[in-house]
Amino acid sequence: MKNKVFTGLIMFVVVVLLAVGFYTTNTFAKDKIVVGMARPLSGPMATIGDSAFKPIYDTWTDEVNAQGGIYVKEYGKKLPIELLIYDDKGDLGTMTRLTEKLIVKDKVDFLWPSCGTAFVFAQAPIANKHGYVLITAEGGATHVKDMLPSLPYVFVSLSFSDWYQIPVLAELLGEKGAKTAYITFRADLFGIEYSGVAGIEFPKHGIEIIGLNSVPPETKDFAPIIKKAKASGADVFCAFGYPDLVLPATGTSMALDYNPKAWIGGPAVNFGFYHTTFGPAAEGVLGFTTFACSQSKAAQTLCDKLYKGKPEEINDWWGHPLYWAGLECWKQAIEKAGTLDQKVIREVLATEKFNTVLGPTWFENGLMAKECHTGEIGQWQKGIFEVVGPTKNATAKFVYPKSIWPAPPKK
Amino acid sequence: MITTFLDIVISGLLMGGIYALIAVGLSLQYGVARVLNISHGEFIMIGAFGTYILYKTAGVNPILTLAICGPVLFLIGFFLYKTLFKILLAFSDSAEIFEGKSLLASFGLLFIIQNIAILIWGADIKSYSFLNIGVDLGGALFPANRMVTLLFAVVISMTFYLFLAFTRMGKAIRAAAQNPRIAGLMGVNINQVLALCFGFGALMASFAGGLLSMCYPITTTMGMEYTVIAIIVVVLGGLDSIVGSFIGGFLLGIVGSIVTYIEPGLALVAYYAIFIILLLVRPTGILGK
Repeated sequence: MKNKVFTGLIMFVVVVLLAVGFYTTNTFAKDKIVVGMARPLSGPMATIGDSAFKPIYDTWTDEVNAQGGIYVKEYGKKLPIELLIYDDKGDLGTMTRLTEKLIVKDKVDFLWPSCGTAFVFAQAPIANKHGYVLITAEGGATHVKDMLPSLPYVFVSLSFSDWYQIPVLAELLGEKGAKTAYITFRADLFGIEYSGVAGIEFPKHGIEIIGLNSVPPETKDFAPIIKKAKASGADVFCAFGYPDLVLPATGTSMALDYNPKAWIGGPAVNFGFYHTTFGPAAEGVLGFTTFACSQSKAAQTLCDKLYKGKPEEINDWWGHPLYWAGLECWKQAIEKAGTLDQKVIREVLATEKFNTVLGPTWFENGLMAKECHTGEIGQWQKGIFEVVGPTKNATAKFVYPKSIWPAPPKK
Repeated sequence: MITTFLDIVISGLLMGGIYALIAVGLSLQYGVARVLNISHGEFIMIGAFGTYILYKTAGVNPILTLAICGPVLFLIGFFLYKTLFKILLAFSDSAEIFEGKSLLASFGLLFIIQNIAILIWGADIKSYSFLNIGVDLGGALFPANRMVTLLFAVVISMTFYLFLAFTRMGKAIRAAAQNPRIAGLMGVNINQVLALCFGFGALMASFAGGLLSMCYPITTTMGMEYTVIAIIVVVLGGLDSIVGSFIGGFLLGIVGSIVTYIEPGLALVAYYAIFIILLLVRPTGILGK
């Protein structure tokens, strides 16, 4: 009998020790937060990924880790961030497989976003299905808004066409008396969406669209389009497409002496490489933006962190501050939640406000609230991409009509 | 009406000049050296980046950079053939087997070159503004940088044609293109000629890249797009015809210009339509035998 009691006691102690050991291993032995990403490290999308979210997550992670990491109350200490990044080669199928692998096999603690609007569409349902919080970066579209009610774990940081760029652009142009617009757009989801929203917003402010051209991504010769736009005599020329459209369209406009009162293009005009390409000739060109360094102390600090002492080419005045703010929200949500539990963190992200480089920041139905945007429309003025709209956030007055290109044609 | 016609034709020639230059290099590499060089676009990319870097960092005139980047790329191409492709040739029992092996090897080269370029130059877009001014021709304005590109494309292609037609080495290259075995029996150093052809192909790609960078933004991943164009033009012109590639390039440029004038979205459709029609009507290409 004594032996049985003794054996039972030993077994009880062993079970208790095992249970405590298991608990402590999981609770106290956690020494890092592993964040997984499927990113285009090579392939055609690498061009966008390298200049958009990558410099942000690199700088931000280094800064947070230099401070010891993120404090998680559940573990009673700061946990540094470790990035596990796979190359999706810019391939949608590869990205979805790698995202599943990161969640199911690697069991990463968190997921950070892939690159591109189409990729957001593909990755968001996967993250949501597995209950992983996903704050997206390079990608945003009107259609994403329709998806978000069914994707409670997904939060979109980037501003986009009707959130709230084109309405602000239309208002600015309307106030200055613009009457007509010629739109050329890339024949893809992005171009169709931006031209479509312009088709709704421009007429509200008395601007008639008198020309509309879609161009396939492989288009090289923009002269016929620019000549048509010039012949139309439109006050405003819009080039809604990526840099492979906007850069040659700008060069061709200069060469063909096409000087509309407003010239807007994007995404491309918002990058530093646009200015380094065209120099002073970029004066007056409009694009999409979020902030300018002079806007606030926080903005200046971020500018210094990201751009000081680095080539101007890497600057991105539209996406960078929003991605940075997204990561700040994520960190603060973890700290507020005090746990790495995705469900709790999602709840915090969906309901609370955070202090970021943009000021008070919050998500509204999964979108970073438009009230948090510190700018929508920018204009190159004396080498600085100033915020000109909305007026309440402007760092400079909107110049309309823009000055003519400085290189007159030789005849 | 005449201005519009001139506008369309000259626009087509401007585009066609670039296409021709891209294709002549590939035509040499495939037509003579029998290497369907899928990495041809990567050589274009290196030429473009060479020009960009020399212009941006050292302020070298982009046109002058052609004289620097071209010979470098020629040497790289020459030694690539002398090493990689010569070994493949030695271990191939027939021309067909060599073509298959060299195709796969050039696929590998594509990824190696592209990834090295990404490591060195990053994957972001590079661009500069050069001669962004207009030139008035018959009442129609054209970008000066593209006029320069056309001029150089024509000059380079014509010079190369004269080299092939009138020099001893050119005749050896043509002989090797027609029948490498017989040319070898006639005293032509075939391995040397084939390596030269591959080198000249890389040289042409470098010129094309340098000229392209004056007009369009460049990235380290731009190569494949131009390889596809080069293959279309080479097939259009005739696989073994350098002159055919030249004509094919201009034909494609002019058709593209006409279609772009009507509806820009249909330009690529028109390219492939011509490609398919030609394959059905004349499978050997415009000047192919």
